[in-house]
Amino acid sequence: MPFFLEKMHSIRFKLITSLIAVSLFVFLVSILVGGNMMYRSVIDEANNRIRQDLNVARVIYNDRINAIRLALELTASIPEYPETSSSSDTLPATKVIHQLGRRLKLDFVGMTNARGQIIHQYRQDSANTTGILSKNPLVTSVLNNQQPIAGTVVLNKGQLLFENPSLAGRAEIGPKKKSDSKNAEITAMTIGVAVPIFVDETFKGVLYGGFLLNKDTDIVDKIGETVFKNEIYEGRNVGTATIFYNDLRIATSVKNPLGERALGTLSSPEVSRHVLGEGEKWTNRARVLNDWYITAYEPIIDIFGQRVGMLYVGVLEAPYADIRTHAIMIFTSITLAGVLIAIVLGWLFTGRIMQPVTHLIQASVEISNGNLSPDIGPISRDDIGRLQKKFLIMTAALKEKEKRHKVEDETRLLQSEKQASVGKLAAGVAHEINNPLTAVLTFTHLILRRKDLSDEVRSDLEIVKTQTERVRKIVKSLLDFSRQTVIKTESTEINKLIEDSLGLMKNQALIQDINLSFHGADNLPTLTLDQNQFQSVLINMIINALDATPPGGHIDIQTMQVDVNRERGVEITIADTGSGISPDDMGQIFDPFFTTKEVGEGTGLGLAVTVGIIERHGGTIKVQSQMHKGTTFTLWLPCRGRKGSSDSQTDEESSDIEDINS
Amino acid sequence: MKILIVDDDAIVVQSCIRILELEGIKASSAGSVEMGAKLLSAEGASASFDLILTDVKMPGQDGFEMIRQAREIQPAIPIIMMTGYLTTRTMEKGCCYAADNYIAKPFTPDELIDAVRKTTLRQKGETGK
Ligand SMILES: Nc1ncnc2c1ncn2[C@@H]1O[C@H](COP(=O)(O)OP(=O)(O)O)[C@@H](O)[C@H]1O
Repeated sequence: MPFFLEKMHSIRFKLITSLIAVSLFVFLVSILVGGNMMYRSVIDEANNRIRQDLNVARVIYNDRINAIRLALELTASIPEYPETSSSSDTLPATKVIHQLGRRLKLDFVGMTNARGQIIHQYRQDSANTTGILSKNPLVTSVLNNQQPIAGTVVLNKGQLLFENPSLAGRAEIGPKKKSDSKNAEITAMTIGVAVPIFVDETFKGVLYGGFLLNKDTDIVDKIGETVFKNEIYEGRNVGTATIFYNDLRIATSVKNPLGERALGTLSSPEVSRHVLGEGEKWTNRARVLNDWYITAYEPIIDIFGQRVGMLYVGVLEAPYADIRTHAIMIFTSITLAGVLIAIVLGWLFTGRIMQPVTHLIQASVEISNGNLSPDIGPISRDDIGRLQKKFLIMTAALKEKEKRHKVEDETRLLQSEKQASVGKLAAGVAHEINNPLTAVLTFTHLILRRKDLSDEVRSDLEIVKTQTERVRKIVKSLLDFSRQTVIKTESTEINKLIEDSLGLMKNQALIQDINLSFHGADNLPTLTLDQNQFQSVLINMIINALDATPPGGHIDIQTMQVDVNRERGVEITIADTGSGISPDDMGQIFDPFFTTKEVGEGTGLGLAVTVGIIERHGGTIKVQSQMHKGTTFTLWLPCRGRKGSSDSQTDEESSDIEDINS
Repeated sequence: MKILIVDDDAIVVQSCIRILELEGIKASSAGSVEMGAKLLSAEGASASFDLILTDVKMPGQDGFEMIRQAREIQPAIPIIMMTGYLTTRTMEKGCCYAADNYIAKPFTPDELIDAVRKTTLRQKGETGK
């Protein structure tokens, strides 16, 4: 019983595990494919966004330039303004310049005359630079072209000092890693604008101004504000903006954990090669401080068309990566939930399936224990129900068969009991008869040897002699029947044995004008049997058939391979066209001493002996008959000969009986 | 030639004696195995037998016992068993005790003479070798 339960559970287990395996597989694939696709589209989206952001940053950068330019152009075009060349009349100009400097948060503002000599400079210290030739490249450009100019401009230390001594200090951002940084000439990147001043269409001078980008926070913070709305993700700025002078970070919104701006470091060589070297835009994933960013760079070109720096924006990758992580987590929890549901459903479902199966298993156990009416539970409406119905049909058939077997067994038992008792009696009688019979035979023979007998006496004595011989025969067949001999088996080609037996009977058949034919199947398995006994069986059968069949009839013997209960064997049929056996006689023909033949013709022992022999060989005998049409005897013999178990039994019986007849 | 017949049934003994007489063979009879053994072991020319004819089934000691004892007294003596009917088992048992031949009851005079002749001839042939 535990064995069955175990087996059943393993079926259940298998069902559920395969269910889970399938769902896990599907979910895994969808996570891998879906997660990846989602990640990629998110990253694409991020890349697109960063490019747009870079454009906006550029616009903001340019806006600053344009704002200054507009202001300077406006200022330069004021009509009453000013006698630029006269040094005495500088006061209103000074005021304007100061206002410009303050309002536009410019780091340097100045005005020169048409020759480039400083008229006024907005500076924190009190040094008077009036009359000195301006060194500012912006001024030089306007002096040459008399055209306004605006944009990015790189100033060296001298130029910075000239504009404003305090600027040099601010500009100082050493690339800390470079050993020669200390000695390097301080240069700074600025945004600068210079416009020509015309009075009555004549060029009178230059108005210029600008501010330092080094350590500037305005532009980068404004980018952060405008583009990224100062969004914070888990304590970090989502978006960052940086301005590079060449590959050196000079202004940035990136702050280290202490709140300091992360300045002075260099961009990666790969970035500078692409952006500064080739002038390309560059978008990539990069590590900034401790976080991954999706970054975009573009070159900054100064007023002379030189690539002097880079504009950078970056968005934190984490929010995008986290979308994927979240998605995967959601997928995973759905998967787990699915698996859980699969387990629960599988358990319930297989339980429902297995319940009738369990019943069936229990029922079959009961059947094997001999209960042919087991309870198989309610019939279910599915395929299992069909199985259950088949099972019921099967048990019904089993019951039927069992009943039939019982009846057969009972009759067989009755028969063998009858045989055994009759056999013992016969053996005892035969033994008692044998001795007197010896005397009768002896003396009849001895008298017959005498020469002085009259013919009448002699013929009478002959009758005594033949009748005594007959008695002897009867006793012999009685003993044949009662004797349970140990069969002496040898492997036998049954067809050959039958042909030999037929040879003995052919003449008789010819005399009676009966067609005796034999059809043996080819390739029959060899049988293990007692040839003498089987031959006597065959001959008895043929004699019976000859006795029953009128002239002109026929007797047909056939063999073929027939397996009974998976046991190989041969079936022999002896069919005649004789008188048939009446239904009344049918039940008795196998009984000893039952005969319908005339006294002296039949002993009624032939078939009784036959049954004994066939059974001792483990075979069966059946008879079918129709009155006036004919009779067919069907013998079946297994290849193996008789079974081992019946061996000893037969031996026992034989010793019993021999003791009487010896 | 002299034959010892052992059988508990007098009519069988009588029949045998009559048959053998006609052939000029002398015979003594014993109604039991004890008697047969006594006759066999008795001294004197009248007690020297050339062949034993014994029944198998007898009250008390049976034919097989007769053979066993006869072999002790006279190992080379030919023995014929008379059986009510021959079975494989009696044959096997008889062979174990070295009966030389057997004859089934009931028999005709010719059958008995035949059996005796054959047995003695066979015996002579074997001892002659
Ligand atoms: N082939 C047959 N056709 C008709 N009756 C048969 C046939 N074989 C046997 N019988 C019947 O079975 C009886 C018993 O047969 P059996 O036991 O062989 O004894 P016996 O042949 O000595 O009568 C026969 O007397 C006969 O009535």
